[in-house]
Amino acid sequence: MDEIARFLRSYPPFDRLPDQVVHQIAGELQIEFVRAGQTILTRGGEPAQFLYIVCKGSVDLLRSGDQVVDTLGPGEAFGHPSLIRGQPPLVTVRAHTDTLLYLLPGAIFHRLRAEQPQFAAFFAASVIERLGYAIQSRQAESNPALFQTRLRDLIARPPVFISADATVGDAARLMRAERISSLIVDQFPPGIITDRDLRNRVLAEGLPDTTLVRQVMSAPATTISADALAFEGLLLMLERGIHHLPLVDHDRVIGLVTHTDILRRQSNSPLFLPRLLQRATTLADLRRYTDQVADAVNTLMAAGARVSDIGRVVAVAHDALLQRLLHDAEAELGPPPVPYAWLVLGSEGRYEQTLRTDQDNALVYDDEASPEAVRYFERLAELVVGWLVECGFPRCPGDVMATNPEWRQPLSVWQRYFRRWIEVPDEESLLRTAIFFDYRQVYGALPAEPILRTITQHAAEHRIFMARLARAALRQPAPLTFFRQVALERRGEQRDLLDLKLRGTAMVVDLARLFGLEAHSNETNTIARLRAAMAAGVLSREDGDNLISAFELLSTLRLQHQQRQIANGLTPDNLVNFHQLGPRERREIKESLQAIASVQRGVALMFQTDRLA
Amino acid sequence: MLSLWSRLFQRTPPADFVRAYEAFPEPDRRLPWREVPYTVIDVETTGLDPRHDALIAIGAVNVENGRVLLKQTWYSLIRPPPDREPSVESIRVHHLTPEELRDAPPPEAVLAELLQRIAGRVLVVHVAEIDVRFINAALKPFGGRLRRPILDTARLAMTLHLNAQWLGEQSRDMPAPAVELRGLVSALGLPIYAQHNALNDAVTTAQLFIAQATLLADQGRNNLAGLIRAGGV
Repeated sequence: MDEIARFLRSYPPFDRLPDQVVHQIAGELQIEFVRAGQTILTRGGEPAQFLYIVCKGSVDLLRSGDQVVDTLGPGEAFGHPSLIRGQPPLVTVRAHTDTLLYLLPGAIFHRLRAEQPQFAAFFAASVIERLGYAIQSRQAESNPALFQTRLRDLIARPPVFISADATVGDAARLMRAERISSLIVDQFPPGIITDRDLRNRVLAEGLPDTTLVRQVMSAPATTISADALAFEGLLLMLERGIHHLPLVDHDRVIGLVTHTDILRRQSNSPLFLPRLLQRATTLADLRRYTDQVADAVNTLMAAGARVSDIGRVVAVAHDALLQRLLHDAEAELGPPPVPYAWLVLGSEGRYEQTLRTDQDNALVYDDEASPEAVRYFERLAELVVGWLVECGFPRCPGDVMATNPEWRQPLSVWQRYFRRWIEVPDEESLLRTAIFFDYRQVYGALPAEPILRTITQHAAEHRIFMARLARAALRQPAPLTFFRQVALERRGEQRDLLDLKLRGTAMVVDLARLFGLEAHSNETNTIARLRAAMAAGVLSREDGDNLISAFELLSTLRLQHQQRQIANGLTPDNLVNFHQLGPRERREIKESLQAIASVQRGVALMFQTDRLA
Repeated sequence: MLSLWSRLFQRTPPADFVRAYEAFPEPDRRLPWREVPYTVIDVETTGLDPRHDALIAIGAVNVENGRVLLKQTWYSLIRPPPDREPSVESIRVHHLTPEELRDAPPPEAVLAELLQRIAGRVLVVHVAEIDVRFINAALKPFGGRLRRPILDTARLAMTLHLNAQWLGEQSRDMPAPAVELRGLVSALGLPIYAQHNALNDAVTTAQLFIAQATLLADQGRNNLAGLIRAGGV
């Protein structure tokens, strides 16, 4: 039955199975017709004997009290949780319309689960496992090198050790003999000495070759577990600005990888970015640098990186740019008259910027600033914001930028701002000021970030604030219809649209901010906030894991959509036509939104939003 | 007496496989429709006249417990007599060439297997008249013919249409349903499998049949007798 095989192949997980297996499955199916309103499986009744796949029509899944939990359409399956556990179904399944079903006998289902890992993972019992698998399979199919290779497998030779009491002359001769560019210093914790150290810390400083290794080595060296993934090693090297990474196993260095070991064939490696920034002399060079950052994002995306990891890479690269620009501005205007801090807000503050988006920044300066000092910071902000525009970061349409005097203030004023937001909360302004709670200091000698954290960390003690923040977070409910289908919008001529930001990632960002503050956490990153909230026990593990999976998925789909638009010369937006997505994406989106909706329902109760006048 | 009878109607003494087929008891008509075993068949022929045209392919699928069992399907070509090879026009419909058919098993083997497969089961055919006439013509030299009950999905469609009118679910001006398989199947929102292949058509018909039987059961005709009244031939 070629048609049935073709039908199955257009839906997950059958789209990932070998053709021949799908044909075998098609040959084992039974076809059943069910009238609208007829019950197929009964909650607490007989365990399912089949995996049911909807061919035509739709079925409702009902929890107790006939509450519809989900509605499944063509290509969607049910009955597997009961079939896997051999237990009575947890939901009643009733035909919503006249429905034609394909039934896969239980014995065949179990055999497929044993033989096809993809199939088994897809029909894992819970939504969270399935969403997790969805992310994993996206990564796995793109670049196995970065995401499946353990660093351990990249070790080319055993490490070469040297004593901390040897001389740098000995070290140089050992490196020459072994034809390597770094040595592990044999001590606990281990140190490292590289040819660059010999150049920069010995020769350039005019030190003799009798200098001891311990005087110029880096110790303790940045190390990573030998079992970490290649990508994690890449990220760590990028964040620390290093090129050699010792691998440890049970506290012992067992090898060493360099960034070229990891990325032999990739020209857009983010590891080349720091050098590019160093060499840049003109604004045009810096503009090229940010173009390179965008290319690196494409490379990482194509390589199957998680969007959250890409966000970290971009944060490192853009922070470095900002530091460079502020440094250049200081060179032009003279040293700052009093200490100050440059803050980034919003997606940048959350380490979630992936494309060049609008600037969101602010400046905090010391309370002792004289009127001239105030004018200095005004000029500094003008310069840096202007340069950022030239580097491809448009001005913020809401004017949340250091050039706006409201957001360029002494520390005491900023402290007042945050206290007012928290102690006299007002829902309308909360919608506007929420991004200020996602701040991060990128540059400057004034410890503004830790000082302001002492205020925001205690926000949770103000229950009215939390309730209002919760209500603001619930302004955008997960877009689901009464039948648990994805609710779509219409904009002018275009129909069936879904806004992957406003009605997708932003909902998770808002929830994470709320839970992060509730957990008294200092994290600004959405996933880190959710983890902190789970650790603090204010968010259940299941809800937290579901939100993280949903966030990763929606972010990935959004970035893929925007990259496609950019590749086609369009201005990137967040609107996708839902029906043009594949069935796999549609199902993943639906499950993500259902996970978000379920947490949203709990939030209203938990933060007692109903008590607000 | 018996020999006179058979001479009078020129009936050949039945072959062994026919006798075995006829020995099976008929399904109990009081059984709920889901408890009765069915075989849905479809045939390909070189034309429409059993006296000049030949049966060249047959497809069958079983229905049990009200479900179409794709694991229990059968498809066979049938070697036509040398003077009844398919014409160019008919090849356009069924895509079976004289070369393919020359290698096919002879009618006797295919008919024996058919009768063995349908023994004790209710036969379901779409527009049964043509297919049954062809099969009976082919069985005649072996002294056999298909046994009733035989259900016709085209007749079931007509009954359902009349019932709907009678129940006021459909306006009297509504035209009677087309007898064409594709039209009936898509009117019920069911998928159609590639046409003009006897097995695909049998599966498409089987789907139509389980939908019709379910609808009839909803109207109170829950057993085999009800199905026979609504669509027996």
